[in-house]
Amino acid sequence: MSVLGWRALLVFALLAALPLVPGMSRYYLLLAFDALLFGAIAMSLDLLMGYTGLVSFGHAAFYGLGAYATAILMERGVQSVWACVGFAVVVVGLYALVVSYFATARRGIYFALLTLIFAEVVYTFFRYTQTFGGSDGIQGLPDATVLPGLVIDTPTRKYYLVLAYLLIAYAICRVVVASHFGRVLVAIRENEDRARFLGYNVPRYKMGACMISALLTGVGGAIYPMRSAFATPDLMLWTESGEFIISVMIGGLGTLVGPIIGGAFFTILRDKVSSIVDWYFIVIGGVLIVIVLFMPRGLLGLRRIFSRRAAA
Amino acid sequence: MILEVDAVSKRFGALTALNRVGFAVDEGQIFSVIGPNGAGKSTLFNVVSGLFAPDAGRVRFRGVDITGLPPERVNRLGLAKTFQITNIFPEISVLDNVRVAAQSRTPESGRLASLWRRPDVDGVACALLETFGLGARRDAHARDLSHGEQRYLEICVALATDPRLLLLDEPTAGMTPGETRDATALVRKVVLERGLTLLLIEHDMSVVMGISDRVAVLHFGEKIADGTPEAIRSDPRVIEAYLGGGDD
Repeated sequence: MSVLGWRALLVFALLAALPLVPGMSRYYLLLAFDALLFGAIAMSLDLLMGYTGLVSFGHAAFYGLGAYATAILMERGVQSVWACVGFAVVVVGLYALVVSYFATARRGIYFALLTLIFAEVVYTFFRYTQTFGGSDGIQGLPDATVLPGLVIDTPTRKYYLVLAYLLIAYAICRVVVASHFGRVLVAIRENEDRARFLGYNVPRYKMGACMISALLTGVGGAIYPMRSAFATPDLMLWTESGEFIISVMIGGLGTLVGPIIGGAFFTILRDKVSSIVDWYFIVIGGVLIVIVLFMPRGLLGLRRIFSRRAAA
Repeated sequence: MILEVDAVSKRFGALTALNRVGFAVDEGQIFSVIGPNGAGKSTLFNVVSGLFAPDAGRVRFRGVDITGLPPERVNRLGLAKTFQITNIFPEISVLDNVRVAAQSRTPESGRLASLWRRPDVDGVACALLETFGLGARRDAHARDLSHGEQRYLEICVALATDPRLLLLDEPTAGMTPGETRDATALVRKVVLERGLTLLLIEHDMSVVMGISDRVAVLHFGEKIADGTPEAIRSDPRVIEAYLGGGDD
């Protein structure tokens, strides 16, 4: 637990107490689920964007493949959370191995384009073939079970499932960025040519970062149908990848915590605004433009402004 | 013999940057390559360090044929290089610059355990920074250092990979004559203390004459002379290249 620090543990303790808040409704618990899931995936993407300096436009494919892995097993009567997550790790891992091998052989915009193209191929397959339900995807899934008799059937249990995922994913990311490997990722972001002259096989490190980021995202995807009871091809649409990127940006690149806040903020903003007006994306777009223009360090950057004012 | 460059040629389109250049560096020597701008010095370093594969010829380092090996492999064999244009990690601290270089030689490097272990290389890194007078600046961002400090950091980063052979590409570029003198003396001291072999590129002939055991002169991609500093100074072809045909 020492990797997390007392502040992170305090935040997780407060999040764990959320279902106990008086008047907490089913709706708010499921919104909290979505917010934390989106935040966790933005954090996973931050390993690539913020630490390694690689922008992936294809994270929706890792997410969607994870969701389909769960849906496919559940459709066949397997309800174990562990089996679904394990299957998602295998499926997403194999796919990510191929994508990251080819994408990391190229730099800059080519990396972004290759991740996008691979993801579009996966989307097209799930959307336009009937193998896994076509545009309807796989619907009407049963509840998942953690242990025999422990069924994830209430919003509170679903919320704790995503909280456990976020905690584990966050701990993994913290350990990785503080490690030998994490230092090399930052060196690659800063100056990849120089990193080669220090004896580092840069494509291999980039591939490692891609794999960790993809697997964490895939596990997040595997959890999603346990809340929604479906997996559809829309989860893999490129706009989904775009929303992950936006979440990282508005939260603060290279901070892990920032993207969690960014993802949660984005999810809640979208939910609130869309319940008021149909053209909600214009409102969200305006808010995002303001954040990007006036808060280059993202929402987490506000912390500095406040601490500076407090000091002055 | 630690490094042997044998009839190396490198062309970029119609330009022949190196034409059958060959020389040998002995263990523990300070060997300098000089020549006017555009003589092919940096290209030679880039071929030796693995950035470019030569079109012809071989490079052998500590008995291993390294011709065409990529920079990360060459570095792991014990060859580190600095760059003519400062090439560091700008947005991280000075200490982190040296740490990431030093940890490249720890047992975790390249292994799965590197994902969760953080090797403690602070001792080595801080000692290097102290040697080059950067100890007090270790928490500053590398981009905030002065030009001269960045040149020293560049050398620290290369030395942190614990090389046997150090290639310095115009380490004193952009320094005043006074700074150049101090830097040259410091580099010489460190190289002797660590028992390193030094291959040095210099543009300014006066810098190398005092410290080199041996000097090779490049001119328009060809080696025109190779010998002791005294022999080079009186070589008519060298005088001609610097005073006549060269651009400075």
